[in-house]
Amino acid sequence: MAAQALASSAHSEGGYATAFPFFGAERRGAPVLAFTRIDEKRVYRKTQVYEPDYVVVLDESLLDTVNVVEGLKEGGMVLVNSSKQPAEVDVGIDVKMATVDATSVALEVLKQPATNSSILGALSKATGLVSIESIEKGILQVFGDRLGPKIGEKNAKAARVAYDRTLVGESHGKRELKSAEKWLPDVKELPIGVAGVPMSTSAGAVGPGSFVENKTGTWKVFRPEYDTEKCTMCNFCWFYCPEGCIYRKEDHMDFDMDYCKGCGICANECPADAIRMVR
Amino acid sequence: MVSKICTGNYSAAYGSMRSRVRTVAAYPITPQTFIVEHISEFVNNGEMDCEYIEVESEHSAMSACVSASASGVRTFTATSSQGLALMHEILPIASGMRLPVVMAVVNRAIASPINIWVEHNDIMPERDSGWMQVFCDNNQEVLDMVLQAYRIAEDRRVSLPMTVCLDAFILSHTVEPVDLIEQADADRFVPRYKPTGPILDPDDVNAVGVFTPPDYVMECRWQTDKAMRSAVEVIGEVNAAFAKQFGRDHGGLIDPYMVDDADAVLITMGTASSTAHEVVDDMRAEGKKVGLVKLRFWRPYPMTEMRAIAEKVKAVGVFDRAVSFGVGGPSFIEFKSAVFGIDLPVLNFIGGLGGRDVSLADIRYMYDKLLDAAKTGEVRRDVTWVGTRGVSQ
Repeated sequence: MAAQALASSAHSEGGYATAFPFFGAERRGAPVLAFTRIDEKRVYRKTQVYEPDYVVVLDESLLDTVNVVEGLKEGGMVLVNSSKQPAEVDVGIDVKMATVDATSVALEVLKQPATNSSILGALSKATGLVSIESIEKGILQVFGDRLGPKIGEKNAKAARVAYDRTLVGESHGKRELKSAEKWLPDVKELPIGVAGVPMSTSAGAVGPGSFVENKTGTWKVFRPEYDTEKCTMCNFCWFYCPEGCIYRKEDHMDFDMDYCKGCGICANECPADAIRMVR
Repeated sequence: MVSKICTGNYSAAYGSMRSRVRTVAAYPITPQTFIVEHISEFVNNGEMDCEYIEVESEHSAMSACVSASASGVRTFTATSSQGLALMHEILPIASGMRLPVVMAVVNRAIASPINIWVEHNDIMPERDSGWMQVFCDNNQEVLDMVLQAYRIAEDRRVSLPMTVCLDAFILSHTVEPVDLIEQADADRFVPRYKPTGPILDPDDVNAVGVFTPPDYVMECRWQTDKAMRSAVEVIGEVNAAFAKQFGRDHGGLIDPYMVDDADAVLITMGTASSTAHEVVDDMRAEGKKVGLVKLRFWRPYPMTEMRAIAEKVKAVGVFDRAVSFGVGGPSFIEFKSAVFGIDLPVLNFIGGLGGRDVSLADIRYMYDKLLDAAKTGEVRRDVTWVGTRGVSQ
């Protein structure tokens, strides 16, 4: 939605803009990619974006696992959702850097960690690509159409607050970042019919059981805080956890933080108030 | 007219609303789902005066559309991939009964492997279903072609159903600026629907889709064949009328670009055309004589137009986002048949299957191969799988 709102903002200023998600299996909170192209004239290419001018990172923890500046054009800029100063964020190269604590802005204004509207305000401040007024208009249109005018207005406000809090500077790359290796077999190596055979490859395990290597716990903003004293061992949390990452032990429950995404369902269902979500 | 950022799915749904469709029966499937959702919103909000029929499958969706159309009202549906395959049985019933049903097809790969991304293999089995098929390369075209589809399909010389095809995600989920046609302008372009043949009417009882013995079927098939041939002329007329009223000329059966003085041309369907357009501009700036033929109508196929192009240029490439296993791309096979007897190199490029990105570099690679072939002039019929790991290029 952020990519669409940005396109709408640019279009309202008389430009041509397109936006699209990276087409994959998506779910709320999971790492996703979205792209926007802005130009003065019609854009014909219908390809994915390989060499961006700007990279916007909504989840700082991705910096540890993804080389976010891959393909970034010379003189390009990175905007990261972070409470740090621009100079303190290391993406592996010397680069123009902007930061904003979009999560805090979203929690203050929207009461939930949906950072996509806040980050657009920051993008306007950091790049000057589109004015903050146009961003507000774009958010009102796209978020408003989809989620109702009230939510549209709140998100526009979040963008404005983030705009005012955005810091722009430069950062020096110290750490070495490599893009995660992907298993790309050729026609001889690919199992016939793409059968899911458990295999160990240069890029790690593939096939059944391989997903345990994907530690999805980094997605969370909130984590459950568990009070053994209050717990009655009713097992409701174990039953309702959509990720299957709560385990029953002899006299307490065990939470696997490697896979917990912080959805808060366990805390919501707990009749004994033994689970509290904390940031 | 309002220019707004919207997806291809929205454009399709909006087009059906502005065409004053009276019955929609559809079943959601990724990546078509938003078309159904937008239409149900239009109906719910009172913006669209339409009977929205919830059905339990695509087979039922098309059956309901056939019945509704046979009762004399304008109908619309939309599907993708497996959904289209499930509809397969009913598609020739719509065309055989000469019902101008219009359907948006968001082209997606057919399983297996299960995949939700763009591929044209879902619609290729429907080539001989008697449906007209147009492929779009931008969201404006999607909207405009839904309107045009009703004028073409309902023309008395045609009276056949039609699909408006858009690439999964690359159009369906991508926003672009679209001029949203207003109702008064749409009404001027798409006249009120008057059924061509007898309709189901309790006050004037007719039978439609009746059991037909061998004594009559040949004549019936010939009529359908003639209707498909007549569509060639009607498509041109409707495109001209649309261009006159709205100032947008999408081309008729084909939309050629920089073809007249070209050494090498590439034939593309769907969004690869739009990307190729940019590559042609780049290569022309470098002094390379390349051109593009955007193949818009897959049925009726532009036989005459393709022969004329083959006679003009030195080499032709056909890009297929589908494959007829063991032979080559369906569009390549069709082109070879259209230009039979004309000696020139014709190269087939298969790519973009299952949503693999068709990049600027991929298309440039095809043009480079074509310019080489144009230079030697050697008559060849090569099939190349572009960017496929472990396959020689």
